[in-house]
Amino acid sequence: MELTVNQVTKTYGDLTAVNALSFHVSQGEIFALLGPNGAGKSSLVRMLTGFTHPDDGQISLNLAGQFFSHIPSQALGYLPEDRGLYPEKSVLKNLVYFARLHGMSKADAQQEATQWLEKFDLSDRLDEQLKSLSKGNQQKVQLISAVIHNPKWVILDEPFSGLDPVNQEKVVEFLTELKAKGMTVILSAHQMAMVEKLADRMLLMNLGEAVFYGSLHDIRQQAATNAVLKVTYDTIDRLKIQSSDHGLTIEQLTEESLQVLLQPSQSINDVLASLTTFGNIKSVHSQSLDLHQLYLHAISKHKEEKQQRPAKEKQYA
Amino acid sequence: MPKSSIQQTWLVASWEFLHFFKWKQEIISKLIMVGIALVVFLWQTVKHDYTDEYKVAIKPVGELTLNSDKFVFDEVTKDLSELKEELKNETWDAVVIETSQQGVLPNLHIYSRDKQSWINELRSVLKNHYKDSYSQTLGLSESQLAAIRTGATLKIEYLDKTVKSKEKTSEAVAIGMLIIIAVGVFTSFGQLFVSVTGEKQQRVTEQLYSCISPQTWIDGKIIGQMLHAIKAMVTMVITFMLVMAFTTVVLNGGSVDFSFIDWGLLPWLILFAVTGVYFCTCIMASIAAAIDDPNHSGKSAMMMLPLLPLIITFITLESPSGWALTFLSMFPLTAFAAMPVKMSLIDVPLWQPILALILTVLTCVYIRKAAARLFKMCMTMYGKEPSILDMCRWFIKDPT
Repeated sequence: MELTVNQVTKTYGDLTAVNALSFHVSQGEIFALLGPNGAGKSSLVRMLTGFTHPDDGQISLNLAGQFFSHIPSQALGYLPEDRGLYPEKSVLKNLVYFARLHGMSKADAQQEATQWLEKFDLSDRLDEQLKSLSKGNQQKVQLISAVIHNPKWVILDEPFSGLDPVNQEKVVEFLTELKAKGMTVILSAHQMAMVEKLADRMLLMNLGEAVFYGSLHDIRQQAATNAVLKVTYDTIDRLKIQSSDHGLTIEQLTEESLQVLLQPSQSINDVLASLTTFGNIKSVHSQSLDLHQLYLHAISKHKEEKQQRPAKEKQYA
Repeated sequence: MPKSSIQQTWLVASWEFLHFFKWKQEIISKLIMVGIALVVFLWQTVKHDYTDEYKVAIKPVGELTLNSDKFVFDEVTKDLSELKEELKNETWDAVVIETSQQGVLPNLHIYSRDKQSWINELRSVLKNHYKDSYSQTLGLSESQLAAIRTGATLKIEYLDKTVKSKEKTSEAVAIGMLIIIAVGVFTSFGQLFVSVTGEKQQRVTEQLYSCISPQTWIDGKIIGQMLHAIKAMVTMVITFMLVMAFTTVVLNGGSVDFSFIDWGLLPWLILFAVTGVYFCTCIMASIAAAIDDPNHSGKSAMMMLPLLPLIITFITLESPSGWALTFLSMFPLTAFAAMPVKMSLIDVPLWQPILALILTVLTCVYIRKAAARLFKMCMTMYGKEPSILDMCRWFIKDPT
């Protein structure tokens, strides 16, 4: 059971929301969709759920030998970006209604809802109107409504938004539990620390295109910058930094310290040789970039490339 | 096990129906209706068991011989003030005084403790008595007297033989029919507006789309709202009947008479009313889906479009055999309103309502699909509303 997205493009008027995007999601994994606002994640999700269809390319899902052009509703649990249930109805009525729409019997739906609410410490509030709950608790009910029917595929758009750190950890546990149950989770989020902890593989998107794709390890390999050196000096000779052609990406942190982004192609000896010309080194610390830093560098680099692209295309023309 | 779309539709319909169904209000209103019905029933029963006889004191100027089943007339010679006192003490139910006899007929003054339903009857007994007495003084024969009593006989005959004989009743039924459909449409209009724009504002749309198809969603909504509309229409008919029965039996002392109901016509009226409400609800649901901000949207007024057939039919009511109503009664978009009205007013060949009903049902089948297309597109649009041109295009063809 695998979801394959092959060269998918979606345009709205003049805007290309998704541009020739290809990736696949394997059964039972947690797959993260990352990218800034407007990257095309929601457009992609809408195609995966079947709300819209690609203008070009194909989406294919093999579900027990049957092929679908999107995740069919009977196999899908969905937490949309635009949250919403029925605020006037009770927590239980909301959950049972959505579970029954997905084909569960009333008794099973009630039992399942009660169990999930217990897990989220909401069992004493099942008869209360949804609107009487705090925003965070409403978010939990919404999450339950997406998975109450035990779907094979779950798409969660921003599951951590609106939650405090304690509840964010609860959602991490929740997602781990879904994975343990054999569900495949596609998740879109901005909380990089959570994604780093949870996701087996990820797709980083920007302006409708794939920037990175794979596991965190793969992404580190793909990244032009995969580590930083923090260097402390007695005194830094700024003129030398500005004048010499050292080929390093340098950020001055304080009067005595620098941060240098290491690129896989660069030799550490050459980098250190250049760094010694700026002053007397007191200490050097190296560290791998976390997902958050990789994300920021990749997005800014992709933006630069994209801006240069029309100029190059013009030159070739 | 995945549910069938019929089960899902019914689930949405019952959710929609119960969303607007307030048990407490329903029970109270139905209890009131039952109460009125009981009053009418008891009143009629008591009236049969108890023969009314009212004692009337009459002070004539000359001689008087007055007989009536309902009233016992006693000639008195007392003063008016004394009689009024006796009226207060319930010795009399009414006091009648002949105040003068300057003309050929006397002037009568009736005194009663308060307003009574039998006063009109007393007035008519007295009037007839004096009319007869005066006629007899003219030396007329019995047949001449009878002719004066009955007056001229009027009969209207139309060259159009299809016009129904009970003209007044059939026109009332026709107008009543239009009002009943309008009540159904207005009920759907208000609730659909709240329901559809509410779901859009509560952002529940995508969550629902992930469970059910737009067709199932709009079908469920329409059925739920139709049940409410039918409930409103039936409630209105029952209320009207009860008010009529109450007025006839309790206020006017008559008996219940529903002979104006044309039982042969009734199934047709019901069929057209139900298909009409379905048609209107489909259109209104799809337009409501386009409304993003219910407070500022110009599209709210467009939801009133389904009322046009009712208004146009009302205008053409004057000439039931005319080309306008004939056309409207067969045109699929207006037949649900025009055909039952035409059928109420004139005799229509059987093929006409059958054809009109088939055309209306076929139109409903198309409208159902088109409304779902429009509904799907509009419900997933937030922040901006589609243009009318877009809506027309989506109504005709699925853009996805």
